[in-house]
Amino acid sequence: MDAKLVNPFIDALVAVMPQMGFDVPKRTKMSVKNQTCKSLGVSIIVGFTKGLRGNVVYNMSADAAKFVASKMMMGMPVAELDEMAQSALSEMSNMLTANAATNLAAMGYTVDISTPSLTVGQDFQIKISSENYLVVDMDLGGQIMELNIAVQV
Amino acid sequence: MERIKVLIVDDSRVSCAMLAGMMAKTNFEVCGMASNAADAVLKYQTLRPMAVTMDMNLPDVDGIECSRRIREIDPDARIVMISAMKDAGLIQRGREVGITSFLQKPVSPYELIDALSCMVSDDVKKNSGIRDLYIQSFAKVLRQSLFSLVGVHSEVETKRAETSFLDIASGIAVIIGLTGSPMGRAIVYMDQDTMYGMARAILMKNDDAPMTSEEAGDVIEEAANIIVGRCASVVNDLKDVDMRISPPGTIVGKNIRIANFKITSYFLEAQTRFGSVYMNVGFAEGE
Repeated sequence: MDAKLVNPFIDALVAVMPQMGFDVPKRTKMSVKNQTCKSLGVSIIVGFTKGLRGNVVYNMSADAAKFVASKMMMGMPVAELDEMAQSALSEMSNMLTANAATNLAAMGYTVDISTPSLTVGQDFQIKISSENYLVVDMDLGGQIMELNIAVQV
Repeated sequence: MERIKVLIVDDSRVSCAMLAGMMAKTNFEVCGMASNAADAVLKYQTLRPMAVTMDMNLPDVDGIECSRRIREIDPDARIVMISAMKDAGLIQRGREVGITSFLQKPVSPYELIDALSCMVSDDVKKNSGIRDLYIQSFAKVLRQSLFSLVGVHSEVETKRAETSFLDIASGIAVIIGLTGSPMGRAIVYMDQDTMYGMARAILMKNDDAPMTSEEAGDVIEEAANIIVGRCASVVNDLKDVDMRISPPGTIVGKNIRIANFKITSYFLEAQTRFGSVYMNVGFAEGE
């Protein structure tokens, strides 16, 4: 897939996260994978269709997820990933993907997004593509959020 | 339950009787029958039905012209076109006069009731009753698809989900996004034994044929893609909407919990000889 298609997703993170009180996220790593993606503990998948078809997975460790949820809930301590914290993370992925969709539209790709599905577990794998897909690590102030982006051609 | 009046326009007495028979056991009530366009317009004016079933071939003018005349009297008239041929040209012409629902003969009772129900609901997105109907269609598609994929008969049970999550002890879950209207997602999932059993059956392999978990997963992913794709097509046929499906995201592992918030979801369970195949379908709330 075309590497330039990750930019709308990265730009979304950079635009949206600071609005919720995060430092500006930094890209720390980018790679191409063709294997099944191993969940880091919490994975939120959002599908999109129309001008482009694909999936984006926001993948993070339980600790990173708690950090993000806490920040989103105005610094409220999040000791465990309860329903409220999970709901906050779902909301975040929805905002990020909607923002990415707007960025994609500016590139000439109109996309519709699905509702997010948040998956938690100790040991599971996610397959979003049988082809190559792109993986970007974003540093959110010490915690890493991994973006897995697959687009069908 | 309130009876919903329907006018049948068809020049064949057999077709009229069949349609009336299908409606007899529902809350739709045939308030009149017309065998030509002139009679249809007259009866529409006097009976003021909630919905009309319109045959394409009438002795005086065709069903589209007849629909146009009816919508001249009542621009909100809800008409379902029933024709032997259902091609793009006909649908195009039908849409131009304001018909949103098209069925092909022979019409099954199920399709007819679905189409009528969808039409008489003013706002499909806000009406949970309509979503229940979608789910009934999904259940039917699931049953038919399992039959055509693996030749097994199954019983499908549906119920509205009480929780916002589903747990999988060990197995596979294929998540497919639904975009457009209504927006949501479908998850087809099953335990490991069912996955292998079904994958072997789909590939027509013996029960003890070797198969890696990756191979089995790929087969189930494709099966789920087919099932959910068919479900979306049914919804698009029932109502003039554009529901699309995203590519599948497939999760394999142990002790997985999948959560969705702000959606209303339904559980479908198809019992097969391989084990239960589950489908959870959710639509976004407050769209």
